[in-house]
Amino acid sequence: MSVEEQVKEIVAKIVHVDKNLMTRESTFKDMKADSLDMVQALVAVEDRFDIEIPDEEAQKFQNFGDFISYVESRIAEKEKA
Amino acid sequence: MSLKGKLALVTGSGRGIGRATALKLASQGADVIVNFFRRRDAAEQTAKDIEALGVKAEVIRANVGDPAKLNEMFDMISDHFGYLDILINNAASGVGRSVMDVDVKAWDWTMNINARAFLLCAQRAARLMGGRGGKIVGISSLGSSFVLPTYAVVGVSKAALEALTRYLAIELAHEGICVNSVAASAVETEALKFYIKQGMISDTRQATPAGRMVIPEDVAKVVAFLCSEEALMIRGQTIIVDGGTSIAPFVIPEGDQQ
Repeated sequence: MSVEEQVKEIVAKIVHVDKNLMTRESTFKDMKADSLDMVQALVAVEDRFDIEIPDEEAQKFQNFGDFISYVESRIAEKEKA
Repeated sequence: MSLKGKLALVTGSGRGIGRATALKLASQGADVIVNFFRRRDAAEQTAKDIEALGVKAEVIRANVGDPAKLNEMFDMISDHFGYLDILINNAASGVGRSVMDVDVKAWDWTMNINARAFLLCAQRAARLMGGRGGKIVGISSLGSSFVLPTYAVVGVSKAALEALTRYLAIELAHEGICVNSVAASAVETEALKFYIKQGMISDTRQATPAGRMVIPEDVAKVVAFLCSEEALMIRGQTIIVDGGTSIAPFVIPEGDQQ
């Protein structure tokens, strides 16, 4: 499963939405997610990929596309290291 | 008061009260394990500042609300050190909501981090203290006994922490482990800005009989005292550090007095 699919699956489970309705343009707001959902999603993604996503980076995400791109870049960095 | 040669774990010590406490214990000679969850940079800074005091610091990331992660942290401490002298249960989180808006998710998140983690950390810590005695201090807040705006679930979690403090104190007494807590009023930290509005912060400052708000170092000093042999006969208590706020609900700012 791609990183994108895995992130979507994690977020969908926390926010209780159908992951097929999520696109890279979707936002947490669209999903009616609150700040706790966001923290839980970040933590779950961090755990799944063994990466860290600082809160100040997470605050910059405009939509899931940004979130997924950031996760992909951290995974790439980790694999390089 | 010397803690030379002692090993302390301070949960949530990247920032705020945890950081001040970690530095206070380090200043008295303790080596400190700095636990953090969300801010690695802050935790590493705390560790650097601890090492500058001439003692050792280790940084361990763990969400104490997740038992698996909490256990991994203690497994690391157990493998690396094999003992522990002091546990400061400081890590806390919460959802600022009115009681009618608290849902299962907000309840579980807050209770797991603030209350359940204290139980699990104390259990693991007590085993590492086995035979050598130790000190356990929980960090509570006035919200355990008083009603603060949008603080319901955090207040309840802190009440649980204080009750647990009493049970732990008695059940671990025969192992030479002292357990107490410190409850602070609103302390000037980053977390405070998250919970309450700016106007309330200045109200709190005015309403504090001691004339200023409580700062993290005020709490850290009392925690350090509870970790000292001087406090040996204090067991299962929650010491309030609030500059007098809680016992003076009707204090009028000096300028307004008749």
